[in-house]
Amino acid sequence: MKHPFRYRWGIFLTLLLWTSTMRLRAYPEFREFIVKHSQKPVNCAFCHQHSDGPEGMAAGQIGALNADQLQRLARARSAFEPGQAVDSPVLNPFGNSIIQRVGKKKFLELRLHPSELAPLLDPASDLDQDGIPDVKEYLEGTHPVNPNDGNPRMLFWVNLKRNLLPLAMTFSATVAGLFGLFHLLRGFDRAARLSITKEITTE
Amino acid sequence: MKLAELIQTSREYLSERLPLKHLDFQHMVEKKEVPVHRLSWGYYTGGLALFFFLVQVVTGLLLLFYYQPTVSDAHASVEYITDHVTGGALIRNLHAWTSSAMILAVLVHLLMTFAMKAFARPRELTWLSGVALLGITFAFGFTGYLLPWHQIAVNATKIGMQTIEALGDFLPGSMSEWPRLIRETIQGEASVGQATLSRFYALHVIVLPFSIAAMLGLHLLGIQLHGMSPGIDEEPRKQERFFPVFLIKDLSVWGVAFMVLFVLALCLPFEALYAYPLFAPFDPKSSTPEGIKPEWYFYFVYYPLEILPFWLVMLGQAVAGAVLLVTPWIFRGTSRKSLRLLAWGAAGYLLAMTLFGEQIYHLFKGGTL
Repeated sequence: MKHPFRYRWGIFLTLLLWTSTMRLRAYPEFREFIVKHSQKPVNCAFCHQHSDGPEGMAAGQIGALNADQLQRLARARSAFEPGQAVDSPVLNPFGNSIIQRVGKKKFLELRLHPSELAPLLDPASDLDQDGIPDVKEYLEGTHPVNPNDGNPRMLFWVNLKRNLLPLAMTFSATVAGLFGLFHLLRGFDRAARLSITKEITTE
Repeated sequence: MKLAELIQTSREYLSERLPLKHLDFQHMVEKKEVPVHRLSWGYYTGGLALFFFLVQVVTGLLLLFYYQPTVSDAHASVEYITDHVTGGALIRNLHAWTSSAMILAVLVHLLMTFAMKAFARPRELTWLSGVALLGITFAFGFTGYLLPWHQIAVNATKIGMQTIEALGDFLPGSMSEWPRLIRETIQGEASVGQATLSRFYALHVIVLPFSIAAMLGLHLLGIQLHGMSPGIDEEPRKQERFFPVFLIKDLSVWGVAFMVLFVLALCLPFEALYAYPLFAPFDPKSSTPEGIKPEWYFYFVYYPLEILPFWLVMLGQAVAGAVLLVTPWIFRGTSRKSLRLLAWGAAGYLLAMTLFGEQIYHLFKGGTL
């Protein structure tokens, strides 16, 4: 159903007013914990859509949300208990998964003890499918929704196991190719020597 | 000296350095021999650098199909290559890993050539073309670093540009303006932006490849015309034929290098070696993230710049560059043993700054970088 123009603007302004009365901010306590624990620079994009957090006018920030996204934001902000579906437009999948797993209420309590968040997260969850659980990425300061970021040693072994077949095939092709090439070169060499011998004999 | 004499002297000089009479199958293939001794492995480093260059050309051409050299699309196109193009992540990783491998191979090759006194008469031109190749390789690294247009790329390039301009403070008279002019010419606008990206792209895919092809041609021609340098003072154990014995060994090394690169490119994304906020797209409105550093192969300049006065480091680099250029003449009478010691010293410095630069910085300055 299409809303009349003024009605849509009414919803938008009401939601904007309502959300603006809430504490519209990222929670730096978690970021500070990750930086301290992992010794790596981390920004708000660890859990949010935008690297500067939810406030602002850029894509993925509150100022750029449309009416539908503001409704999704309001629903996400009211997910106080765990287990509720969360689809906040200012959070990335990891941020949404945290709120869905622990609930907004518990999450706000954890601001005082951000280290206690890790045990509450799903130990099997791996949003970016890079083989490193999100909890481990949270503690190590690597991005949980970027498969190219992770502990290099772990990424190497995980990918090595996953790619054994292509690696074995490439290895076989390389060895076979070089074997053939070497025989070809030796063949050229023998042919060249043979022609030199023939020339000498003829002379 | 009369002009005719000058021309005659130049002709003699060049014909000794580039003996084109050897430009035949017999000299370059049939009769070419390679000495076998304890430093023979040094002969493979040049071939390895060439192999890495060829991989760079092939993977670079493939990346060109999708890469967009605009500030709005560069990062997105790189992400598209990585996430959506079949084999794109592998090709991109191969390009990134090979760039580092190529620089490493070129540096090792340079040090080995120095240690083996392979620059001595009549190989001066081969040495000079090699030094030019080293410079071009570093220029490839510097220009290629900006192309993905992520946080570390743009911010590190800005620092590089500021370093170039700062050189002007230490130059006399009108020369003090040169670094600024060079910076403006390369950068193309007030700050690192679209003009810079376009220029770096043009340098990376057109100017530098043509330059390296020309220098590589001269370098390989010199090597083929003169054959391999003896490398050691005493008589080598034996000689082996270049074709096919050495060539087969060289190609085996290429095969091993390819497999190592392939395993790395498939199993370890190059980006995993950076902290993640650094490879997020560059945002001119956001604050500069922590941890901005150049690539590892510039650490030998970067860490000294953080520890010592700027003028001192730049003077040191200028002297090192000048010494490299006149090496065939100033080390003409130096024994290979002394040259090996010098090469070890240089290798030690490069390794220390590359592997332990940060610890050395903390030792001198404390705090965080």
